[in-house]
Amino acid sequence: MINPTEADQDDSEENYGRHASVLRSQMIRGLIGGNPECAHHPCHHPEQNCTFCFCPLYPCLDPELGEYVISRRTGGRVWSCQGCLWIHRDDVSSSLFEMMPEIGDRGLDERTRSELKAELEKKHRKRAKAIMVLGATSGAGKSLLVAALCRAFRNRGLKVAPFKSQNMSLNSMVTADGDEIARIQDLQARAAGTRPRGELNPILLKPKGGVTSQVIVEGKPLKDCTVQEYYSEFVPNEAPTIISRNLERLMRSNDVVVIEGAGSPAEINLRGRDVANMHVAKLAKADCLLAVNIDWGGSFAYAVGTLMLLDEEERRLFKGVLINNMCPGGGSLGDSLKLVERTTGVPVLAVLPHIPSLYLPVEDSMDLDQRDEGEGGTTVAVVRLPMISNFTDFDALSLEEGVKVIYVRTPEELESADAIILPGTKNTVQDLLWLRESGMASAVLAKAGTVPILGICGGYQMLGRKIFDVHGLEGSGPSEIEGLGLLDAVTHFDSYDKRTVQVHGSLEDAGEVRGYEIHMGRTESSERPLFRLLPDSRPEGSWDQGRKVLGSYMHGLFDLPAFRARFLAMIERRDGVRCNDVDHEAEIDSSLDRLAAMIEEHLDLDALLGGDGHGP
Amino acid sequence: MATVRKLMVQGVTSGAGKTTLTAALCRHFSSRGTDVVPFKAQNVSLNSFVTADGGEMAISQAYQAWACGLEPSADMNPILIKPKGNGQCQIVLRGRPWKDLGQGGSDPEVIDSLREQVLSAFRDNASGRELVLIEGMGSPVEMNLKDKDVSNMWLAKATRSPVILVGDIEKGGVFAGIYGTYLLMDEEERDLLKGFVVNRFRGDASILKEGIEELESRMEMPCLGVLPMVRFSAPAEDSLDLSRPSGYGSGHGDIRQRWMSELDGVLEKWEGAWDLDRVRGLIDRV
Repeated sequence: MINPTEADQDDSEENYGRHASVLRSQMIRGLIGGNPECAHHPCHHPEQNCTFCFCPLYPCLDPELGEYVISRRTGGRVWSCQGCLWIHRDDVSSSLFEMMPEIGDRGLDERTRSELKAELEKKHRKRAKAIMVLGATSGAGKSLLVAALCRAFRNRGLKVAPFKSQNMSLNSMVTADGDEIARIQDLQARAAGTRPRGELNPILLKPKGGVTSQVIVEGKPLKDCTVQEYYSEFVPNEAPTIISRNLERLMRSNDVVVIEGAGSPAEINLRGRDVANMHVAKLAKADCLLAVNIDWGGSFAYAVGTLMLLDEEERRLFKGVLINNMCPGGGSLGDSLKLVERTTGVPVLAVLPHIPSLYLPVEDSMDLDQRDEGEGGTTVAVVRLPMISNFTDFDALSLEEGVKVIYVRTPEELESADAIILPGTKNTVQDLLWLRESGMASAVLAKAGTVPILGICGGYQMLGRKIFDVHGLEGSGPSEIEGLGLLDAVTHFDSYDKRTVQVHGSLEDAGEVRGYEIHMGRTESSERPLFRLLPDSRPEGSWDQGRKVLGSYMHGLFDLPAFRARFLAMIERRDGVRCNDVDHEAEIDSSLDRLAAMIEEHLDLDALLGGDGHGP
Repeated sequence: MATVRKLMVQGVTSGAGKTTLTAALCRHFSSRGTDVVPFKAQNVSLNSFVTADGGEMAISQAYQAWACGLEPSADMNPILIKPKGNGQCQIVLRGRPWKDLGQGGSDPEVIDSLREQVLSAFRDNASGRELVLIEGMGSPVEMNLKDKDVSNMWLAKATRSPVILVGDIEKGGVFAGIYGTYLLMDEEERDLLKGFVVNRFRGDASILKEGIEELESRMEMPCLGVLPMVRFSAPAEDSLDLSRPSGYGSGHGDIRQRWMSELDGVLEKWEGAWDLDRVRGLIDRV
């Protein structure tokens, strides 16, 4: 933008008229969206709209959008709106572009500017309304409620973004820009109709086993931390700045930011060290909603206890309690709802029904134990490694008719499997040791040659002959470990480098595949490759056709039908398996729309947004 | 009933660990020579057991009976609710099928008669014993169900039993769950509540210290233990327990012996994590 505080410009209000020609040339140039040609691009953020590089409303003197500063050139007061992202939103600039009158020799006069601004304000919020969903427990349904709200607001034509300051999850994915974020924030971004990016989930913790986690900041791996280091160093020193800079940018470039908390806000042993809940609520001045899962019982106790363990100032941010997951015929809650309000001063705003058979990724491994999916005679057994990650890979398989996906941890459970998958893991070496100790390794080997065995990522590394971890990156000291030896491949962990990239490609013969790689370590294989990747036909994965053993680094490989069909075709006992051309993404979108319809029906979103349902 | 001593375990949620905690206490007291017997007024489960005299009861109370070194008897679990689908449940009363009821379809007369049966079974079950360990059901503060309660605070009041409350830390929010349960109790109920236990903890319990101290001072009662997460096999109680290890291998021999030796393993792993002297001290304080 034409920066009013730069020394080479005379932006004093008296000289405003001199910008008439700049304004006219902007209008002639038209609605240009972003301007990557510009030497300063992106001066705010990659999504910015550059149509009004110089703002026709300057100086608006709106304290929410700018401030007076001391000019570096003259030493006098000058209006600075460097931090204003409003005019750089696509929707705001296109509205203003349509409204712009003829520009006279002296530019726009003050009255015209203030009329234009008032019109714009009617249509677009200057600063986002922040709504935050917190949970009384993990698994209260926060993530999906945030997705539901995002989709409902988007459907109302609002510009909306999800935000979760800190997430702990092994289910991550890689965005088109190469950022690694939690899979659930990717889903929420899709619900909101905004580009998934690190900004939406600026701190991602990936547990590596024991007390260590990998810390990913704004989509890029930063370092490994122990729990102790994380809370005593990272949280007080680094986290607040990271969180506020990302949140602030979202607040300035959206109508609504729907924020998700993490776990419970009332972990009173962590007072002052929790940057995922009330810290963010206060920062965003968010209207907070407390979600409680009624399914486990004790939900009123959790609601009341959570609110009463917070201090008065925090409790006042809560607009209501959402009782979630109510089953049909669950009986009447009667006066219990009023009792919550009497005890805490916070009303129960809605009792939300359980929505059956949503096709959406689950967040954490706790849910896996109860997650045997699909119905049918053909059983695909996913080995439930202790550090299992990216188990959303198997969502698409369970869509196939006649296929049942089960998660197994004992040799007995493997016996009936018609296909075996070794999934990704956050710690290949330790999980390989577990595989041996639990007897699962011998059980897998015993089935080799009779049923297809697929390893993905860490599971692929395990299928090879050897793993060399010369620097002890996997936390078990420098080591050289025997793999299962089902593929003629070896894996080296030789640097802290991490490959996070989206990949496209095809099966050797035909059929598209799409996914992403997230891994440390590299694998050298002398097997036939499984895929060819774009753009240069790079071989990926390994395939021993005779023994039906397959390995690949590609997460999401089942999402498109081609590989799904190939894999299922290798299963001998396939009673009633019918491969569907089901589009994974269309299924997700329709689930999001069902969620949005549910939340519109049960919660007064107009009231939540404040008044007219659109904004101030 | 006046002479028998009692202790009741209630939970913040279903699946908080009441059954195991009660079984562990059964095992502990019986191994010290106390003549102890389990009791749970009402259980909702399709996993039932049949006693030597043909009575049907929940397998969890049978398991607790074995932990006491006793043969299971239907009076240890006088009401067993077996969901049949379509909102219908079969009610097994004192070992025999009684009738089918619709969901929530229990009018005050039915509740009165069930309460009578519960107390009568309690007396028969406790007769001649030194100690009854009572297990509650679900959460004791489901306010919409309080006037139909036959298994939680109503029973604690009717039998004048001291109560300990167990919360599961694994799903998060355990402090809120425990404190909220306490807040929603009336004065008489809070009087019977003597302490709380945090279950399924992983890691170094010292990180909970500040939180536990705050709860102890807010509730004016002690934390009796922070019990480490233990994986072990036991009969599955209901659908909420699907996450238990399955197919862990019964090895060779009698599964009941295996369950008991695993329960002893649980007690060993909990050694030092809870204050059993203090628990014993509670029993006589009502």
